[in-house]
Amino acid sequence: MTKPNPPSAPSLLTSFFDRPLPLYLSAALLRLIFLIYGLWQDANSPVKYTDIDYLVFTDAARFVSQGQSPYARETYRYTPVLAWLLLPTSWCQTNQHHHHYLNLILFSSGKILFALADLIAGYLLELILTTTNSKSHHPLPPSTARKFASIWLLNPMVATISTRGSSEGLLGVLTTFLLWSVLSNRLTLSAILLGFSVHFKIYPFIYAPAIIWWMGPTTQLSKLITLPRLKFAFISLSTFLLLNYAMFYFYGIDFIQHTYLHHVTRVDHRHNFSPYNTQLYLSSAFPELSEYKIESLAFLPQLLLSCLLIPLATAKKDLAGSMLAQTFAFVTFNKVCTSQYFLWYMVLLPLYLPNSSFLKNKTLGLTALGLWVLGQAMWLQQGYELEFLGKSTFLPGLWVASLVFFGVNCWILGEIIGDIGTRKMKHL
Amino acid sequence: MRERITFIQKLGDSIDPAEVKIDRNVIKAPQVQAVREDRLTIALDELPSELQSLLSGLHELHIRWVSPVAYETVSPLLARLPPGFHLFFTPGNEIKATSTILCQTLTKIFGPQISCTTPSESFTTLPTDRFSHSTAYQFFHPLSTLSPFIHYTQSHLCSLSNKPCTTRLSSLLTSSTLDISYDTISHSLRLTSTWPYQRQQISASSHPNHRTEVGILSSDKPKTLESHELGISGLLTVLDQDTKPSVTMFTFPSRHRDAESFFSATFLNPTGLHPTLQLSLPSPSKPPGNTCNLHAYLTLPNTIFPDKYQLSDPLFLQSKNISSLRYISTPIDLEAPAYLTKKWGSTLLLQLSSSSSPSTAEIPLHLRYLPPSYTGYSTVQTPYPAIFWACTAEEGTKFPTNPFEKVNLGYDGLFGPRTVFWHVEPRPVSGKELVNKVRVPVLDLAKADYVNLGTALVVLSGFLWVVFKLVSVVFGKKKVEKEKKTQ
Repeated sequence: MTKPNPPSAPSLLTSFFDRPLPLYLSAALLRLIFLIYGLWQDANSPVKYTDIDYLVFTDAARFVSQGQSPYARETYRYTPVLAWLLLPTSWCQTNQHHHHYLNLILFSSGKILFALADLIAGYLLELILTTTNSKSHHPLPPSTARKFASIWLLNPMVATISTRGSSEGLLGVLTTFLLWSVLSNRLTLSAILLGFSVHFKIYPFIYAPAIIWWMGPTTQLSKLITLPRLKFAFISLSTFLLLNYAMFYFYGIDFIQHTYLHHVTRVDHRHNFSPYNTQLYLSSAFPELSEYKIESLAFLPQLLLSCLLIPLATAKKDLAGSMLAQTFAFVTFNKVCTSQYFLWYMVLLPLYLPNSSFLKNKTLGLTALGLWVLGQAMWLQQGYELEFLGKSTFLPGLWVASLVFFGVNCWILGEIIGDIGTRKMKHL
Repeated sequence: MRERITFIQKLGDSIDPAEVKIDRNVIKAPQVQAVREDRLTIALDELPSELQSLLSGLHELHIRWVSPVAYETVSPLLARLPPGFHLFFTPGNEIKATSTILCQTLTKIFGPQISCTTPSESFTTLPTDRFSHSTAYQFFHPLSTLSPFIHYTQSHLCSLSNKPCTTRLSSLLTSSTLDISYDTISHSLRLTSTWPYQRQQISASSHPNHRTEVGILSSDKPKTLESHELGISGLLTVLDQDTKPSVTMFTFPSRHRDAESFFSATFLNPTGLHPTLQLSLPSPSKPPGNTCNLHAYLTLPNTIFPDKYQLSDPLFLQSKNISSLRYISTPIDLEAPAYLTKKWGSTLLLQLSSSSSPSTAEIPLHLRYLPPSYTGYSTVQTPYPAIFWACTAEEGTKFPTNPFEKVNLGYDGLFGPRTVFWHVEPRPVSGKELVNKVRVPVLDLAKADYVNLGTALVVLSGFLWVVFKLVSVVFGKKKVEKEKKTQ
């Protein structure tokens, strides 16, 4: 199946995807409109368009430009690289030498970077979908590939998140870049990208077992250790350690504390989509009374699925599909889950959908999408009553909603695994 | 030990000296409508030993308790603070800041409501770089009653048979403020309590070896009074020494004045997890002078907190009728639940815009997660803020300490030495208390029986379902391929 919707006559829609320019121009325009609208809203409304996290990044960048640590900014929990990337935002000046519009552009430079990352990620999706030397895919014609890439490129949710200044978009480009580089057999580049990605946001470490498993020529466990695998492991690990060493050298224990240890010691008690949320609130309030410390075992199903079982069962058949399923499992089984995390797997969706049962079977696809949206809507309604109306909806409302949403996600994950696991292996 | 008892009436009210009866160590006079202030100065070596050892290790300690019950006061006792227990403290050395003794003693004296561990862990630090008169640390708790303090002092300061002593201390239950101050220079502990403006019985007696001075005074406005001064006149008597009261009249510069207007504070409904405190000033009258700005000073327990990043956007502040964020204590954790927060809370000083009349300002605040309860709700008590106009007095004006002056109020150290505070009187919206209550939704323990089991079962089922799918794609390949062929 190459075209999901063969049109009877050349329509405006098909000619839109025939050439790359219309799609990428619209994607860029969409982000530009959002960006300018955001600047207008920020300047004219007490309710801000810009994400609070963006102010955290830009504050951290300002500290860096003053020769201080980015961790001088409270709640900065990222690698210093992010603050360095956003250094131009600290060049905003209030003196008359700087034009007002120049200041606006400088302030928005981070958002522009995130939006550009979105576009590059979209282009890489097109490349991966059309690439011919891939072991896992039947290459798609460029127009069809662009149609699927547009799920990412023209997605208003993606465009909103990056233009509000959330850095999750950078993960999109890192993931697609990593996948493209692996599929085009660039071993050193792939290893460096993986090391950097893990340094940047930890979770991409789940891709390591999938890539290593995919790399090998056979499925025999006795031939597990091969030279390319060793090389890949060595380079990626060295990149990761070298970057961490450098950051530790610059910013000391603050870097380790805020970037990594914070995620170990934090108490994720505030309401979020995670199924563990209510239980975590309960056990954090009564640490001495918790008989079943299920939250300390929570990493087990999460890591078993995303790092071991899913890659073993699916990576050799479809690396992109495996990475999607792994990310989906990682987010679904995580101890904390907010809607920004959905972006982590959304970027891989265009690579999986072309041959998915969700597209072949429209009812199944719409049911999955409907349930996924409905699960969130249920939770958001309970969350609204708690957060804004002050109703105690922790139990049963939020708890049940998060478990229902978890159930929906598990079902979708099962379907994805069913799809990619039954794909025929393309032998070289 | 020295004692000073002062009754202060309003301008124009006075008592006829002939009506004051003095009999050696006893003074009696007809009832007056007045504020009563009692001040007791105790030398360090007259205190119980545990207090002696505690205080000798301190550089400075000021406790200021303000009753939650709204009270009326008169000039010059005008300085106001948010109701509750305020503590300002400078340790003798930094090692003392990590000691648990101060907190243990405070809990012993003021009751278990005062919960802290060590100054360095539970207290917030005050900016000491700008004006040297600030203490190093601040602590606050919305303590509503002095009864534990009364019990402690009755058992430690009064002998068992001394009925007048215990009665006197019991009267603190109706007091509107209590100040306890100690510093190494004076080497003595000064306790000052006031009772609200109401009918007061004038009756006092002195004890051997205690100097007791009684003043029956009124606010006064002599013709020579300068604009930055307050005047007072009336009768002073030193018991056991004077046979008749001596008439007195004096003026002094004062940093605390009456703005002659009032305000009320209430939370906007619904409060949710981000309550907004609305301040209403029906007729904000600007004091004389050009350089006056309206301010709100808030002391918030750690269950409710302001976000300094939210309060730094000019457009946002403008929409709330706030001119600027003048001071916010640090650090304030923006995420932690109340039960894992060690600092007592936070201090906030906002400059309000006062262009309109009536004037309202809205202060956006945020609730922390509180421990679960069996009703699904908890209550957070938020004291009224102190609202005042801060005006800069003319160049060269000096404010030497006057007999009724209060320093170390928390906010005074955030302003220059020539600042005069014109206080706006707080009035409850309903009832008598200057405290706003917020109902906070918490996890309902009555419904929490199956949370652990339910979560575990659902997660396990989800996990097993995914594993089942994985197993079936690995081992059920042929079957699926067959199915495909038949399709």
